Amino acid sequence: MNNSMRLFSKVVWAEACKQHRNYFNNRAIYISLFVWPVFSFLSAYYSYSAFDIRGTFISYLSDDNILLFLLIGYMAMSFFRSVVQSAWRFSMERQAGTLEYIYLSPANRMAVLLGNALSSVFESSVVMLIFGIMIMYYQRNALNIDVLGLISVMIIFVVMALLWGVFLNACFLYSRDTDFLFTVLEEPMEIFAGVKIPVVIFPYWARVISLIFPLTYILEALREVCLNHADIASVRIILIISIAIIIVLLTVTLVTIRVVEKHMRKSGNVILF
Amino acid sequence: MIEVQNLQKIYNVKRRQSFFKSYKESIEAVKDISMKIEAGQIVGLLGINGAGKTTTIKMLTTLIEPTSGTYSFDGINAIENPSFVKNKINMIAGGERMIYWRLTAYENLWYYGQLYGIDNNTLKNRIESLLQMVGLEDKANLPVETFSKGMKQRLQIARGMINDPKYIFLDEPTIGLDAVVTKELHDEIRKLSKVREKGILLTSHYLAEVEELCDYIYLVNKGELVVEGTKKDLTEYVYNRKQYCFSVQGMDENIIMRLHNYLISLDIDVEIVQQDDRAIITSKFELSSALAQFAIKENLIIKELYEIEPSLEQAVIKLSQQICREAESIA
Repeated sequence: MNNSMRLFSKVVWAEACKQHRNYFNNRAIYISLFVWPVFSFLSAYYSYSAFDIRGTFISYLSDDNILLFLLIGYMAMSFFRSVVQSAWRFSMERQAGTLEYIYLSPANRMAVLLGNALSSVFESSVVMLIFGIMIMYYQRNALNIDVLGLISVMIIFVVMALLWGVFLNACFLYSRDTDFLFTVLEEPMEIFAGVKIPVVIFPYWARVISLIFPLTYILEALREVCLNHADIASVRIILIISIAIIIVLLTVTLVTIRVVEKHMRKSGNVILF
Repeated sequence: MIEVQNLQKIYNVKRRQSFFKSYKESIEAVKDISMKIEAGQIVGLLGINGAGKTTTIKMLTTLIEPTSGTYSFDGINAIENPSFVKNKINMIAGGERMIYWRLTAYENLWYYGQLYGIDNNTLKNRIESLLQMVGLEDKANLPVETFSKGMKQRLQIARGMINDPKYIFLDEPTIGLDAVVTKELHDEIRKLSKVREKGILLTSHYLAEVEELCDYIYLVNKGELVVEGTKKDLTEYVYNRKQYCFSVQGMDENIIMRLHNYLISLDIDVEIVQQDDRAIITSKFELSSALAQFAIKENLIIKELYEIEPSLEQAVIKLSQQICREAESIA
């Protein structure tokens, strides 16, 4: 590992450890991170029981796997939601004054934001992930997984969630007035990314909105490989779009980080709270 | 050496007039500041009224980019190479913010150390020696939220030393601390400069603190440098008159009147104010021998006779009043 990579990984690890100690030092937080998504998931599941979904035109949706359909949606959502929350929490560092010291240091800014997202993605989602795997095991007969497809999609999914987190972190740092992004991104993502309802049955205007969220694409791929035994070739278009999104997110994030620091140095807003 | 020339910072601020209307306003926080900081020197930055001290310090730490002016850091252009500067500086601010309260003292220092890419063994040893230096070695594994204000401030000092900086910027480091802790911190600051050869820039509201610690002082007002020099230079700049304390046995109004008449007879223009049994005499002239002769002539026994050395605080207050008067006369 060359020196700059070593420094980069040191900062990522330090930031992840700090976030862990700062926000996850009380074990009760894991209960709150679990209870709310599970209630929300169960409420969606029982809402479906009022309708007959046998006649749906969605190939992988049936009476048998509706529970798994929703579960995959909620598990994926918990990853993406956690990074929105972590970005919002990171913006609090401006109030605490610690952001000023981070920017005073020569640490790679991308590494700081990545460490923050990394800690949040895994810690906030771990309980939901365990719960999901347990339910999946219980409902294993309804699963129709293509293993190679799942591994490929999962890798792209994790990279995309992390980059989404880093990008949001960078946006939240632009100014102290970017908190509105939290409202704009959290609930609408659950509604429009197809977590509860497949995007294909959305009206046209809602489908346009759903295109904004990276979760929309990767969630569709996840469901295809888990419930429809779709292999990589079958979901290649979604995967190509997802990889394109990752490249765009990475580029935009790197630009945003530079723009944010330049803006902060010009406006002096790193010290305003 | 840190050297800045004609540093200026203009903020473009958006002001809201109504829900739909806003306008832009330019605020000149720093107009023209030039200064130098050398290794092993404690330099004070004193401000009178919203002087631009914080903006200046943030420009020197590269957190804010100057609108114009030059900034040379050990011969390197610091405005174009902020990363070079960041490795060699650190900042210590007063107050209880800027550290992670839920983390322990050790974890705080470890985190900030990692941001500077310090290798693990060096960092471990440095954290231990810094905690010892600030007297927190027994509290290393306690969360910062359990610390007193003074302990948090001492941790801030350790944090500010984590990268072994060549230059340290101290922004109101003793704000809100009691006298005992303040004295301990003053000793630490002095050691950093004189023993460890750190160049230090100190801003403080406490003039006595600047007077006690600083080798050289810059006095700024409304973003401009008013005067610079040692404490002696500054007081002499403000006080072109000398002050004497004169007291004799049986001092009363009658003696003061006779003293006044005596000095006038010697063609010496003075101002005398009685304070209890003392006369405070202000004049442009050297008065020690004239006052002694007056006592001999009047058969008075001298209790006190000395020249009053003005404090920096008095000088700054007087200068502040002068500047306000000048501003009013222009208006």
